[in-house]
Amino acid sequence: MSRNGAPVFEERFLEALSNAAGVSGGEGQVRETLVSMVREHVDGLEIDALGSLVARVSPAKGIGKSRAGRARRGGPHVMLCAHMDEVGLLVTAIDSDGRLRVRKVGGIDSRILVGQVFRVGESAIQAVVGSLPPHLVPRAEREKVTPVEDLYLDLGASSREEAAIRVAIGDYAVFDTRYERWGTISKGKAFDDRAGCAVLASLIQRRPPVPVTAVWTVQEEVGLRGAAAAARRVAPDVAIVLEGTASGEMPRIEREESAPRMGEGPAITVQDRSLMADRRLVDRIQKTAKRRRIPTQWKRPGVGGTDAGRIAISGTGVPSAVISAPCRYIHAPAAYLDLRDARRMVDLVWSTLETLREEWP
Amino acid sequence: MKSIAASVDALLPSFLTAYGPPGREAGIRATLRRALRGLGTLTEDRTGNLLLHKPGKGPRLLLAVSMDAPGVIVTRIEGTGLGRVTLLGGRAPAELIGATILFEEGGRALLGYDRGRGSKDGAELEPDQLFLETGLGPKEAGRRFPVGTVGAIQDEPFRLGELWCAANLDNRAGCAAVVAALRGTGVIRYDLHVAFTVQSDLGARGAITGTFGIDPEIGVVVDVAHADPKEAGGPSLGKGPCLGLKEEGYLAHPLVLELLKRAATAARVKTQWLIRESEGSDARAVRASRAGVPTALLAIPARRSGGPISLVHARDLVDTANLVARLLTTPPSKQPKGGSR
Repeated sequence: MSRNGAPVFEERFLEALSNAAGVSGGEGQVRETLVSMVREHVDGLEIDALGSLVARVSPAKGIGKSRAGRARRGGPHVMLCAHMDEVGLLVTAIDSDGRLRVRKVGGIDSRILVGQVFRVGESAIQAVVGSLPPHLVPRAEREKVTPVEDLYLDLGASSREEAAIRVAIGDYAVFDTRYERWGTISKGKAFDDRAGCAVLASLIQRRPPVPVTAVWTVQEEVGLRGAAAAARRVAPDVAIVLEGTASGEMPRIEREESAPRMGEGPAITVQDRSLMADRRLVDRIQKTAKRRRIPTQWKRPGVGGTDAGRIAISGTGVPSAVISAPCRYIHAPAAYLDLRDARRMVDLVWSTLETLREEWP
Repeated sequence: MKSIAASVDALLPSFLTAYGPPGREAGIRATLRRALRGLGTLTEDRTGNLLLHKPGKGPRLLLAVSMDAPGVIVTRIEGTGLGRVTLLGGRAPAELIGATILFEEGGRALLGYDRGRGSKDGAELEPDQLFLETGLGPKEAGRRFPVGTVGAIQDEPFRLGELWCAANLDNRAGCAAVVAALRGTGVIRYDLHVAFTVQSDLGARGAITGTFGIDPEIGVVVDVAHADPKEAGGPSLGKGPCLGLKEEGYLAHPLVLELLKRAATAARVKTQWLIRESEGSDARAVRASRAGVPTALLAIPARRSGGPISLVHARDLVDTANLVARLLTTPPSKQPKGGSR
């Protein structure tokens, strides 16, 4: 527990969640991992029709009253949300020579695929995206990016029959990356959005200041689908979406162009392609951060979209905001995250919930 | 009907100049509140839609009119003090070059653009080629216009003959037509709800939540349709309001379309057809709300003349207001199915 009573960020959650496989539509392993983390700490746990994990937690007794002694019926009902799914590949066919044809699930840049090792299907068998060695690549081809239709996953099987023993059409493939840490810097796959999932699981370790429904959603990367269904069911007063977002620092990119930057605090969204964040809620988060001396930065407007976009237009509308941990190299084999940002996120969300208990809107 | 024309002329300039880019509609909301005083019960929903309710005996009718106007949002301030922006709303970056941007918190800036190396005239401009000329140093610019600051396009409406010329006609023209109609109508045959919706230009977001809350039995959307003079058979200025037959995600409901036609005939207003492939108005959101709402779209033809300015024929605007006024007093032919109550 930290000074203000906020729970601490559990790195072991991030490690387990990052290592779990969960491409959009196949989030089962991530969901099971989360269930084991939060089961003991929630009042109700269910899995909705699309597969999102929904946990209801009420505040501790006596907490519903504000300092003035005024009964507030526990404050507004807040939906905290992080998506379980990650980008990956889907096996669409097995060639007669045993090679797997694939398509992308979610946004992956084709330039990063060649030569990557993936874990395929339930058995997590390793396979490599085949590539010709430079000796054999014709000069004219060297500058080109191979489209995913022309790529294949190679298990080492020598026939369709042999491959079919371990892999089936419809199996998912995830980047074969194990979680590691270097000082406060974590490296792993799927930090978009296992970082948010881990922050949310950490927050649920204590009874929150206001009634919270924590939702770990499915199919965000393919169109914010799980959140649309979940928001309708939860019908919250306020929503805060927790994300792992892209940080922009790269060699030869100006500092002001690279924001938000890893290690410089949670990124707060004003606007993206899916959302105009609720201004009162953003002001609240910003003021809370200032008061708690938590560094924050603005997420670059106009890019990306999150579950908050769907939650905000659910029912008669839900005031929504997004808080993100800036991660380098998301939607790629290995992302980097500064654990200090994740800790600050837990602190910031918790402190914001406390202010919502006192007064909202 | 003279009073409706006078109402439109009186209302439109103040609506055009009211502040209200997507998500920051407080200015236009306040202006509309003043203009709607005494016409019904006014409330604001959680998304920021301004809702007017005038209880009545007939079916629950929703008039949906978007009130946001195009805007920009600051994405960063560069070391030179120039700002970078992205656009809020469906305007092409090239149309906004040279526009004066007003900020809610005060201050203004000019929108310029990077010609780029070897960039040709007429090439498609990306929003990141636009920049804000703030006239300030980097420190002061960063303090005045931090990342996420939203700006609106300054509008200085004027008349050229019979044409209204202004930047924010989409959809403040619709707002003026509807408010003038409400002021000048007779005995309303509906349980009337009017939703002045937010964030229409970002994907009908206000209409989605507003319609959900009202749960109407009939929906009529009033918007602007851009007329391209090069397009044969498309809408043109001065030929009356458009009855929308189709746009992305929307097909006119035959009964509501018939109702609009009857109202037009009764009001002696000529109409034209609108068929477009693009998604444009709140119609698809109203149509698809809950179990579905029989919906039709009424649109005022507007021409883009290059730059931020659009043109609307004054007669089309008054005719639209007259049509809406008559619509409210025209009983529905038969009860359209739908609505849950």
